[in-house]
Amino acid sequence: MLKPLACLFVALCLSGCETVQPWERGTLAKPGMQWQTDPMEISLQAQINASKEASSGGQGAAGGGCGCN
Amino acid sequence: MSGPADKRPTLLALTSSALLLPAYQGVRADAAPEFIELGMRYSKYEEDNTQGSKTFGGSSQRYDIDAAQFHLLAPVADNWAVAVDVQWEDMSGASPWFVGQSLDGGPKVIMSGASIEDTRTEVSVTTRYYYDRGNAGLNYVRSKEDDYDSNAIALDGSFNSADGMTTYSGAISTSRDDIEPTQGSVPTNTLKNDKDISSAWIGVSRIVSKNAIVRFGLAYTYREGFLTDPYKKNDKRPGERNEWAFSTGYRHYFFWPDGALQADYRYFDDDWGVASHTLNLAWHQNLWRDTQLIPFARYYSQGEADFFANIADTDKRYYADDYRLSSFGAVTVGLRVRQQIGNWAITAVGERYETDESWGVYSGDESPALVNYWRYSFGLDYVFR
Amino acid sequence: MNQLPLFEHQFRAMGGPCRLRFACADDGLAGRVITAAETEVRRLEQKYSRYLPDSLTSTINRAAGAQQSVPVDDETAAMLGFAHTLWQQSDGLFDLTAGILRRAWDFRSGRLPAQSAIDRLLPLIGWQQVQWDASSIRLPLAGMEIDFGGCVKEYACDSVGAVLARHGIERGLVDLAGDMVVVGSGSALEPWSVGICHPRRSGAAIATFSLAAGSLASSGDYERCMVVDGRRYGHILNPLTGRPVQGLAAVSIAAPQCLVAGGSATIAMLKPQGEALAWLAELGLPWFAVDSAMACHGELGER
Repeated sequence: MLKPLACLFVALCLSGCETVQPWERGTLAKPGMQWQTDPMEISLQAQINASKEASSGGQGAAGGGCGCN
Repeated sequence: MSGPADKRPTLLALTSSALLLPAYQGVRADAAPEFIELGMRYSKYEEDNTQGSKTFGGSSQRYDIDAAQFHLLAPVADNWAVAVDVQWEDMSGASPWFVGQSLDGGPKVIMSGASIEDTRTEVSVTTRYYYDRGNAGLNYVRSKEDDYDSNAIALDGSFNSADGMTTYSGAISTSRDDIEPTQGSVPTNTLKNDKDISSAWIGVSRIVSKNAIVRFGLAYTYREGFLTDPYKKNDKRPGERNEWAFSTGYRHYFFWPDGALQADYRYFDDDWGVASHTLNLAWHQNLWRDTQLIPFARYYSQGEADFFANIADTDKRYYADDYRLSSFGAVTVGLRVRQQIGNWAITAVGERYETDESWGVYSGDESPALVNYWRYSFGLDYVFR
Repeated sequence: MNQLPLFEHQFRAMGGPCRLRFACADDGLAGRVITAAETEVRRLEQKYSRYLPDSLTSTINRAAGAQQSVPVDDETAAMLGFAHTLWQQSDGLFDLTAGILRRAWDFRSGRLPAQSAIDRLLPLIGWQQVQWDASSIRLPLAGMEIDFGGCVKEYACDSVGAVLARHGIERGLVDLAGDMVVVGSGSALEPWSVGICHPRRSGAAIATFSLAAGSLASSGDYERCMVVDGRRYGHILNPLTGRPVQGLAAVSIAAPQCLVAGGSATIAMLKPQGEALAWLAELGLPWFAVDSAMACHGELGER
């Protein structure tokens, strides 16, 4: 049920965007506009969450595991 | 540059033609790094003691972890970069052994008696190649602790569309984990076992406007082998697990307060009956020129695994009383501060994580062993300009 | 930040005196910035100079008339694309292949060339004849030459500006033989005071302006002219006729990119005076021009 809705949502978001010229993309390089602002922090949070919860992954392929208890 | 320039065809033609030259490409997020970067983080993770009313023998202390992370990124030749990441963790404390029925009827957790002491070391090396339209990376991770050994290898790549508005990415990985449980702190029947994890992910990221970007991703993970927790008395899990995760993210910059809103959502589903929603929100506030203040919050809600029960029925084929497979909601609130000083950057983070069965959207039995914790991190980064 | 020490480095490149000025917190970083900046200027000189036998330009020119095309990298392909845009926007007046006219015009001799000398060269001129694409270029007739001289200095300015910015420099001025780029764009900056050279009096400025951000490029027939029978022949030649243009004496244009400013200034210098002034008024960039009667037009104003 969720899957067709998700596909529609994705399609709507990706279509019909006016092209932003390369010289207009300065704002997208500002701090806070990256997908990963602090990679070490994200990796630590992801590891803690994966070892204390039942879900893992989402952005990127899963790596190896640990004997987290 | 909008406004009158757009209406002058000559100027527009000259400018758009000039900007194709390398000097104007600016600092592209996906360009090869130019300088060597070093980073260090020290973190402290402290779980709250268990609740006295929910623990046999009264409130018990839980887990503490001291972690140190080290990161090095170096450009190699014109189009390559190498990253080395090392992580040390010192873990100690008690963890849930099993859940039993108490005299007054409610389930209570029995903690492992003696304190567990363990050290984990993880080394990750990534080689990345950058070309004009994207990059590709090869990564190897080795993780070792007293009772656990993991080797993983991953390949990822990303590719920009011709107009630079869309980026397509993908990754695959596989790992082999070996477990040889330490006998003694908690009785365990397992001598030696292993599991394999394979995973694939595809994603697409798109520029929505001058101020906003959006991304979507889909991941599939397959785990096979010994998936049971050997340190839990009542735990027998299937030998296979298929997982799906759909994720989406959004970043929007607001000019007047000079800040960016970050939102990320993930829906997770697997064939053990676990499903979950994760929502991450952060506000990235730029202050003065070199300071960033980032409050953040996370909401998490998971449903219980099919074979989860507080009082595990050991006659069933699969059973587990591990709180991590139970139904609960978790809320995290935290703050990150970053200060740039010349080539240095200092970071400090504090976060609080709390769980409660009633905070989740799925219903199920509340485990007496739900965990709450504090986490603090302090970091230093240096760029060799 | 206005209290940061100002570093200055002078050197000779691109056929003239070059000067870097920038504010920087420590000596070590300043030294590395100067090295990186000068290295980038030399790199572009080595790559595009018509005079160096090992340069890409010389390689392309030596292969004129051969069957094989010469492979070019992304940077050169984009440079050719920009030159093509200049050629289109100037209706053929800006032409990368027009450099060979120097074989007929010897400004030091004080003698006008014979028409036959010019006529021999005209068939070898014409950007429309050049076969080029995103990965290679071929000059179809032996004797054809391309000369990036009209673009490289301005591009080098922008490139050095980018080098300074990448090193974290937030206030600086890059001056390569008269074309300049301001590094940094914070609102608290002090503007730089720049002078426009007088076309006829060397060492004197005909006007001074405040440049706070972006770039300023200038073009003019300051030297290399000759006077024959009382008539002045400037060194800027029309590629379609092979003869000097009767154009402005000097043009200065301000734009976010020095390459755009310089390309526009060159186009303005190639047009006849009246047309050039009209074209500049329509362009959409702040401009300043001196005509053949030494009258000033346009206003760069406070930038």
